[in-house]
Amino acid sequence: MECIITIELGTNAVRIFAFDLSGNIIGSMKGSYPTFHTEPDYSEQDPEQIFITMLYVLKNLLTEKIHPQKYKVVSICFSASMHSVLAIDDHGVPLGNVITWADNRGKVEAQELKKSGLGKILYDNTGTPIHPMSPLVKITWMKNHDQERFNQTYKFLSIKSYIIQQLTGEYFIDYSLASATGLLNIQTIQWEPEALAYAGITADKLPELAPVFHSPGKLRKEYQKSLKLSSSTKLILGSSDGCMATLGAGVWSDGKATITIEDSGAVRVVGKEVLRDEKQRFFNYLLTENCYVSGGPTNNGGVVFDWFAKQFGDFRIPYEIEYTMDNLVNEASKVAVGSDGLLFLPYLLGERAPIWNANARGSYFGLNIKHERQHFIRATIEGILYEIYSIGKTLEEHRSIKTLSVNGSFASIPFCTQMIADMYNKPVTVNKHSDSASRGSFLMSATDMGKYATLEEASRTVALTDTYTADPGHHQTYQKYFDVFERLTNKLADEFEAIANLQQKH
Amino acid sequence: MNQFILQQGHARELHAFPHILEFALKKNNSIQLNSLHATSTDSVRIYSIVDGKFEWVIGEQNHILYPGDLAVILPGQTFRGEKDILNIGTLSWIHLRLEKIDATGMSLGKWSYLSRTECLTIGKILLLNLTTVLKLKECQGILTTLRQELMNQEIGFTTRVNQLIDELFISIARQSTRQNNSQRDFPQTFMKLEQTLRQNLAHQWTVEEMAALIGLGTTTFTEKVKNYTGFSPLNYLINIRISEAIKLLNRQDENVTDIALGTGFYSSQHFSTTFKKLTGYTPSEFRKRNLPSK
Repeated sequence: MECIITIELGTNAVRIFAFDLSGNIIGSMKGSYPTFHTEPDYSEQDPEQIFITMLYVLKNLLTEKIHPQKYKVVSICFSASMHSVLAIDDHGVPLGNVITWADNRGKVEAQELKKSGLGKILYDNTGTPIHPMSPLVKITWMKNHDQERFNQTYKFLSIKSYIIQQLTGEYFIDYSLASATGLLNIQTIQWEPEALAYAGITADKLPELAPVFHSPGKLRKEYQKSLKLSSSTKLILGSSDGCMATLGAGVWSDGKATITIEDSGAVRVVGKEVLRDEKQRFFNYLLTENCYVSGGPTNNGGVVFDWFAKQFGDFRIPYEIEYTMDNLVNEASKVAVGSDGLLFLPYLLGERAPIWNANARGSYFGLNIKHERQHFIRATIEGILYEIYSIGKTLEEHRSIKTLSVNGSFASIPFCTQMIADMYNKPVTVNKHSDSASRGSFLMSATDMGKYATLEEASRTVALTDTYTADPGHHQTYQKYFDVFERLTNKLADEFEAIANLQQKH
Repeated sequence: MNQFILQQGHARELHAFPHILEFALKKNNSIQLNSLHATSTDSVRIYSIVDGKFEWVIGEQNHILYPGDLAVILPGQTFRGEKDILNIGTLSWIHLRLEKIDATGMSLGKWSYLSRTECLTIGKILLLNLTTVLKLKECQGILTTLRQELMNQEIGFTTRVNQLIDELFISIARQSTRQNNSQRDFPQTFMKLEQTLRQNLAHQWTVEEMAALIGLGTTTFTEKVKNYTGFSPLNYLINIRISEAIKLLNRQDENVTDIALGTGFYSSQHFSTTFKKLTGYTPSEFRKRNLPSK
């Protein structure tokens, strides 16, 4: 019997799945690693810990689930979170920690570049919004503020490139992940000379570019031996977690969009053309040639509801946040649609799409004497989803969206899924499997084996269940409140800046 | 309750308890200059506020204490009143000489009924959490009973007195972990624990110690860690140890035995075996692997 293994190097944990060739899950395991915030805007992880955790989880999965059942591992396909930067020296040894997507240290660099004419050109050519998350901005920051490390750097890698180098000895990055670095020209599929020049590097400072199906080489002998894998096991570079989740969500044709909400969230569409936005509000990431995953990300997804639960939830059992959240959702469902006029702006962590304002902050608005505790719960959830709706609504200025598919722990709470359907006034399907990114990696591997002719064909096999249909009455109510939500967000721009400045000072 | 002060060497009530240096209850009715100037001793000093409001500086940190609050001052920590004054109010205190309390562990003394592991864990909590002021009203009851036992000297009082002091330490340790962890945010609590583990990697951590540090029982703790990280607590610890070791191996300037002991392995042999099992390389092979690139 043969099987396919997928490795997802996520923001907080590595998730490894084993699928049989029909796409059934044979086993899965995860291992988490911490994020360090040594300074206010910093967000870093230990590359060795990520590597060891990945290796440990892989070994456990193989020993406990795969080898005892005599499965032969055909391929191992990778995906990883976007925008990470790891500097290494000429021995392949990391120079410090890996800088994650959530790191904001380059905010001044980002602001300056975004305002300049070059910023506009770079956004058009690379598809990556000019933002501190972008490796282009991070490397520029290093050039300006950490010259010693910058000069010592042999290559700037993504965390996935580092892990693959550890396993094979080769330095590679797939086009897809590379298209999220702000350094790749998504038309020519070559490193963008103007971006490299701005960051102060040459192309040899980056790993070699290759298609998502490319095999970076064989596992080193030592790992073949310790993992008991044969030399014929094929490694596949794969893509980013975002693109894989889109593929795994089965969203591959016109008129479809996918909504992912975990801690953060995104609304994505797939198309054969780059989505050009004058206001630079959307990302355009490449999956394969002439196939773009476009959309907008939000900082304020499930993490905001998490925050609410920790502050105001009832923790009868220590640390049982899921139980607490269930109760909150239950209470929220007893309040009328629109929370009787209580609105919540969810921008606790600043916001990316569509407003791209790092200074945005949260706010409850419209309080009157009749509002009770449970109104706040419902308003909080509604606020998070109005933001998700505002991304989709902006996307619709460019593409028509007829149906939606949701995944991610927050979006797939039935109460939230129904609310998404009502706000958008469109039918919403939920993925049968919660692991969209891993499913996407499986589909990529299976396509590579020839099981499917194209990724599009592969994506059509994704099983969707539970269609939620919109309630037109609810939709109308949400529309009225959303108008206020949108106006409020726009009107508060000056006040957001003022309060954020004050907060920074104290 | 009336004021009293018992001092070792003077009070016959303390004959059987050489570890109790001083035990007192004071009602302070007037403010006097220099009534609480800076001191640092080699004993553990515990103060419980009964009445009033006290402004104190403990180890450079300013605190305001209210009734029900308890301050724990460790050996070597300085302690004084704000402006060197003892405020008006009622408070009781006990000063204890412990056999040992430092980075390598704590032992109360032969009189204690706590097991060695329990004692070590409580010591770790006291040293690591550094919560000097605890909301611990129940300790007033312990101190009141302690006084009655010492004054009345009924049958079994030696045992009771020592048990009460043990109980005091247990209450302090438990409240300290509770106050340090909201019991709402496991990821955040776990992150704090992980930092502590990293800073004390050479220490031979036990699951009991780790669980106690965040105020959970071992069963719940293990289950939570497994759920959150995918690993058992000890396997998670191995992750941190090996990743730290890899960093040191890459630096090329420390020998393998030192790295092994510094990252908490029993021996270089134990390190080698664990390392090879996980990575497929022995530590020295791994070190040689990072040769200059092509």
